[in-house]
Amino acid sequence: MKQKLLTLLVALTGLTSCDKYLEESPNNALPTASAIIDAGTARAAIIGAYSRVQGYYASSYPTLGTMPADNVIFNGTLSQYLQLDQNAVTPDNAVTLDVYQGIYRVINSANSIIAYVPGIQDPNLGSTEKNTILGEAYFLRALGYFDLARGWGGVQLQLKPTADLADLKGIKRSTLDATYDQVLADLVKAEELLPEDATTRNRAQKSIARALRARLHLYRGQWADAEAYATQVIGNTKYELVKPFKNFFTSPFLTKESVFELTYSTNNRNSYWNLWYPSSLGGQYTLKPSASVTQKLNDPAIGGSRSTLLAGTGSNVYGVLYNTSATSTDPSYLIRIAELYLIRAEARAQQNKLTAAVADLNVIRARADVAAFSGATQAAVLQAIEDENSVEFAFEAHRWFDLTRTGRAGAVLGVTDRNYWVFPFPYQDVLSDPDLEQNPGY
Amino acid sequence: MNRILPLLFLWLLAAPLWAQQFALRGKVTTRENEPLVGATVRVKGTQTAALTDGYGGFRLQLPGPGSVLQVSYVGFSTVEVEVGGRTSLTIVLETDSKVLNDVVITGYSVQNRKDIVGSVTRISGEDLKGTPAASFNQLLQGKATGVQVTSNSGVPGGGITFRVRGNNSINASVDPLYVIDGVFVSNTEPIRTSIGNQQQSNPLADINPADIESIQILKDANATAIYGSLGANGVVIVTTKRGSLNTKARITANISHGWSDAVKKFRATTGPETGTLVNEAAVNTAIDRGVDPSTITLPFADPSKLPTYDRISDLFRVAGTSSYDLSAQGGTARSTYFAGFSYLKQESIVKPSDFERYTVRFNYDNHLSDKVKLGNSLNITRTYRNVSSNDNNPTGVINSAIFPRSYLPVFNDDGTYARSGSFDNHLALIRNLNNNAVGWRTIANLYAEWAILPELTLKSSWSLDNSDMYENNYSNTLISAGIATKGSAASYETKNLILTNEQILTWRKSFGEKHRLHALVGNTVNSVIQESTTATGQGFATNNLTSISVAATTLGSSSRAVARLVSFFGKAGYTFDNRFTLDVSLRADASSKFGADRRWGYFPSAGVAWNASNESFVKDLGVFNELKFRASIGLSGNQNGIGSYAAQGLWSSGSNYLETAGTSPSQLENRLLTWETTRQVDIGTEFSILNNRLGVTVDYYNKYTYDLLLNVPVPSRSGFTTYLQNFGAVRNKGVEIALHSRNIEGRNFRWSTDFNISFNRNKIEKLASDIALGASGRNISILRQGYAVNSFQLYKQLYVDPQTGNAVYEDVNKDGILTSADRQIVGNALPRFTGGLTNTLSYKQFDLNFLFYFQEGNKIMSMHDFFLVHGGTQNFIGFIPRQLERWQKPGDVTDIPRLTTYSGAPTVNGGPSNNYGGNVANQSSRYLLDGSFIRLRNVSLGYTVPQSIVKRAGLTNVRAYVQAANLLTFTRFTGLDPEVSSQSNSQNTAGYDWATVPQPRTVQVGVSVTL
Repeated sequence: MKQKLLTLLVALTGLTSCDKYLEESPNNALPTASAIIDAGTARAAIIGAYSRVQGYYASSYPTLGTMPADNVIFNGTLSQYLQLDQNAVTPDNAVTLDVYQGIYRVINSANSIIAYVPGIQDPNLGSTEKNTILGEAYFLRALGYFDLARGWGGVQLQLKPTADLADLKGIKRSTLDATYDQVLADLVKAEELLPEDATTRNRAQKSIARALRARLHLYRGQWADAEAYATQVIGNTKYELVKPFKNFFTSPFLTKESVFELTYSTNNRNSYWNLWYPSSLGGQYTLKPSASVTQKLNDPAIGGSRSTLLAGTGSNVYGVLYNTSATSTDPSYLIRIAELYLIRAEARAQQNKLTAAVADLNVIRARADVAAFSGATQAAVLQAIEDENSVEFAFEAHRWFDLTRTGRAGAVLGVTDRNYWVFPFPYQDVLSDPDLEQNPGY
Repeated sequence: MNRILPLLFLWLLAAPLWAQQFALRGKVTTRENEPLVGATVRVKGTQTAALTDGYGGFRLQLPGPGSVLQVSYVGFSTVEVEVGGRTSLTIVLETDSKVLNDVVITGYSVQNRKDIVGSVTRISGEDLKGTPAASFNQLLQGKATGVQVTSNSGVPGGGITFRVRGNNSINASVDPLYVIDGVFVSNTEPIRTSIGNQQQSNPLADINPADIESIQILKDANATAIYGSLGANGVVIVTTKRGSLNTKARITANISHGWSDAVKKFRATTGPETGTLVNEAAVNTAIDRGVDPSTITLPFADPSKLPTYDRISDLFRVAGTSSYDLSAQGGTARSTYFAGFSYLKQESIVKPSDFERYTVRFNYDNHLSDKVKLGNSLNITRTYRNVSSNDNNPTGVINSAIFPRSYLPVFNDDGTYARSGSFDNHLALIRNLNNNAVGWRTIANLYAEWAILPELTLKSSWSLDNSDMYENNYSNTLISAGIATKGSAASYETKNLILTNEQILTWRKSFGEKHRLHALVGNTVNSVIQESTTATGQGFATNNLTSISVAATTLGSSSRAVARLVSFFGKAGYTFDNRFTLDVSLRADASSKFGADRRWGYFPSAGVAWNASNESFVKDLGVFNELKFRASIGLSGNQNGIGSYAAQGLWSSGSNYLETAGTSPSQLENRLLTWETTRQVDIGTEFSILNNRLGVTVDYYNKYTYDLLLNVPVPSRSGFTTYLQNFGAVRNKGVEIALHSRNIEGRNFRWSTDFNISFNRNKIEKLASDIALGASGRNISILRQGYAVNSFQLYKQLYVDPQTGNAVYEDVNKDGILTSADRQIVGNALPRFTGGLTNTLSYKQFDLNFLFYFQEGNKIMSMHDFFLVHGGTQNFIGFIPRQLERWQKPGDVTDIPRLTTYSGAPTVNGGPSNNYGGNVANQSSRYLLDGSFIRLRNVSLGYTVPQSIVKRAGLTNVRAYVQAANLLTFTRFTGLDPEVSSQSNSQNTAGYDWATVPQPRTVQVGVSVTL
């Protein structure tokens, strides 16, 4: 009788199949196995990769590129920014952690696309679109490794999607050169696979890959290549310097100035302005233009119309490159055509083509309504280009990386210990990754 | 089934026959209406006797209608009852000694305490009175062994930390299972308004403590294993009040009002002091940079002229508490009822938060027939919270008052609110914060019980815990969150539904006087469904328009997660000769959170008890009134606290770009993911001596939790940050001692004392690698193998060099430089022991009760000191007086180093850059404080109006009382209050003090009237 009761018990619960009852899956996520299997999922995956670039470029990467240098000072209370300003960055710095993790997320997305998209058999995904998606993935991976290399030096190269943690074992840090070689290899593939049209500025294109390549060669001191690739991009009629200067950072965005920018919307916000605006305007005012950059930008002979990067007066000066405080839709500015002119100017100056170099430099100065430069020596021209970069890209991710790549961070910023020209690897990576060797001095 | 029906038919036929032979049915219960199992009911002067069954019921055939029954039960006074022609009656036994002989509700059964083989603490609802806290679990502080209860903040209805025998897990839940009238209730934080890094509310504040009859805390494996996958962190079983059969209605009203204030308030340096410190930092920094200090311009030409603005007084208020309770309980011959209504309003001592609660309860039981009983418990609660952000949020009310420098005005010259740095204006917040959270909670249970045979009962129970939290937040243009956006609003609707169905078949039988057996089998089907919807809007035409529908831009999102559990369980107990008891149980659980192959977990347990006081040789000693030894071992599981889809490899949606939907990898698959398991051994003894005047319970336990559900940090280069796997082990072992002493038992004067103390030692036995976390990315908390959870890692400050004024830290790896490798574990947030001392005195009509709570050995990381003793490095942050103790000149001996903002050479130990910045980044052990304290948690004095007067007024009972909470606290902690945990969102970041509302000191007066 007891057995019968037990049967009754089970029947009472209305369980026909226990296992079926226990199968649950989310309605807002895909199983990894079916994440990239057809046209729709492939398109969603590459969109997701861009979204992850936004993850680190919206606020953290421009902060890393400016704060350790002399244009932006700490004016808030959050110690991670104080550390960046003081060039005393600890391994648990939240900004460096955010960027480091964010870039590898992009790389894992890109690796997944590179691994799985070629195998998709879907009539809706033609070879042209397939190539575009792959080209974008190669480009984003190149961008990721480039941004890692200039921040941390040589890094561990992950080239396959992470399916199993065991696959990670044994991958040591590559040298800086090997890391840049990987960037180059990916850019070569990207340039080959990507399309080119007359309007796209917020998804990868052949000319965007070329622009990044020009920058890569500049960082590696490969002057002729830097010049050649910069020339290719400058020669594209899709791009021109906009005037007045402030047009490129005033809505509507995606001006002809822009080679590559990430677009935000009210559904996908970028509230970086919040770190720049004073609290009386609803911001945190953590990042503040330094006295020196304020003076330079306001000097008609140096900043010219670039003074429009500033607002406020006296001790309440604040930066307005990111200014959509009501809607939070400022783009992330990755590459502007102005940079290609200055890359070419520097590459030409380094090759002692001083006249051509000065010509490029003066294109930038003219746009900002600043008088033409007329120095004669190579050193003077290079110095002028360095100074021009500082005001032209005052609040973009440039100054710190420019000073470290040219070896000038010691002389200009007083950061004489070269150990601190690269960031520390995150504390939790050092703890969890036996293959990772921390940068010296941290 | 086929065989049962004829059997039933037989019963029905037989019933009228018995009636003619003066058949009697009855029930034996305690005064609390808990059934007494195994009580002896004897017809006086005959050999006719019966033992009560599992529900306290008995049947007897009487020689005549005028018989007298003698009812006896160990630990209760024997009573004689005249039957007087009745055919059914309920007999209530009064306790003889409070120590050993309660009945205890263990997992799925009611047992005599003497037969219990596990460690179970019972607290009666009566013991919860006296403290003005909204939730019953908060009220258990200091009242039970093995339970550590800490309020995270002084916000009414706010979060608490509740641990039974330590932290058993790292990433899975460490909260116990709460079972209220058979309903598995949710303890998941429903509030989503971000108010800092603290657990914002206590979901159990939805229960009115006055409705509670008793609470049992199941601690050891034998008691908890029957709850299988849910029991590893202990089980708290709450029984609410029910009526008794054949009792007339008793209506009770209780009204009280209280006033609370802060014992200590935040402090800030004055304007002139702040100016002096800032100037001194500027001079010192110049010296460190090799600049002649006389050449620099001081920030303040004359600091003594600086004004001082007091922001802190604006924060605090004398907060009111009002409480109204009304209940009715009673029963007829066939049915019983309890109906209760309550209202509570509590203000926070820091503006502007408050908490309001309405509860309605209706418990009803009906004996449909002799064999079938139907009943329900129903609780409906509405809560209202005015939510205010604090802790690590720079635009929180407290932060906006304590961080700005005191010489800065509160208002601009034009009368608008002034702001500095990242902080908002505290008055703007207090006046304009508009964050409301309205919760509705229904906890309901419907059960049917069928006594198939006298010894066999089937119970089926259907339960629901439905909580619904609706939050509406509006930031107008006067507070910083709304300035730039021209007003911003958010609305959250969060639903959490738990459905549980259970069947339990119980069999009990006694064979003669020597053998007692009980067994049960059952099953549980449990679903947890969590759903939420969010809408936000930005840009409003004016501050008077607050509906999201009229915002310039609006956004919405929603989510849903479902988890299911299927369980089967069985339990059997055998007691021989009232001396030996053996109890075994087994439960099997399957969870939808795990993959198909690893879904099932099996959790067995076994325990033995020896009632030595029933041995003649112990009786001959004449020392022990009761003496019992017990031991148990078993396994219990844990899967709470991990995501519903934790084992699956997932790509999340929502990574959108250019208004196009995108996906990206979010979780690595782990097919092998399975139950976290706790193995626990418990050895205990209970005895009473001196004519039951002194009762003692001592327990030793050793809990080993293995296959931890651990979010193992993985290298970032994987594209992921953590991977959930079964890795690691944690051990908790400890000793618990409880004493109950009836010191004086006179006619007019009674005095009893309860003392309990619990020692717990926690240790991480196995961990893949260190996991550092806490303090907003500063990684001050650390999990490290060989150390306890909740350890703090800091740079250990050895001294401040009296010559240079620079701080010197311990160079752990002896490499001569100071780097992150020199951080070390310098303390722990877990107390070595906690306990309570309760004294209850009564003299004639007066009663006095007071409770001291104490805890010892825990450290608190004062983020308050960390931020406000910054040596000048923070331009927008003021100072607290501790900064004034800084080193100023050679020879000064202090632990606060010389002020400087110099940042060069950060690896030099004893150099100026590490005083407040550098590699140490102010993460110095000088801010880690001792959090031990002893507190007069509660004292209450009552006066019961003499019966002669009460009767004349037509009442049954009238008691007036005055009570006070937190009147005295003895501690070395220099913050506001040592009972604090500002980072309690994560169980692994306990023990931070960070801009948190302190525990209030409360005085309350009230009156309780029974009709």
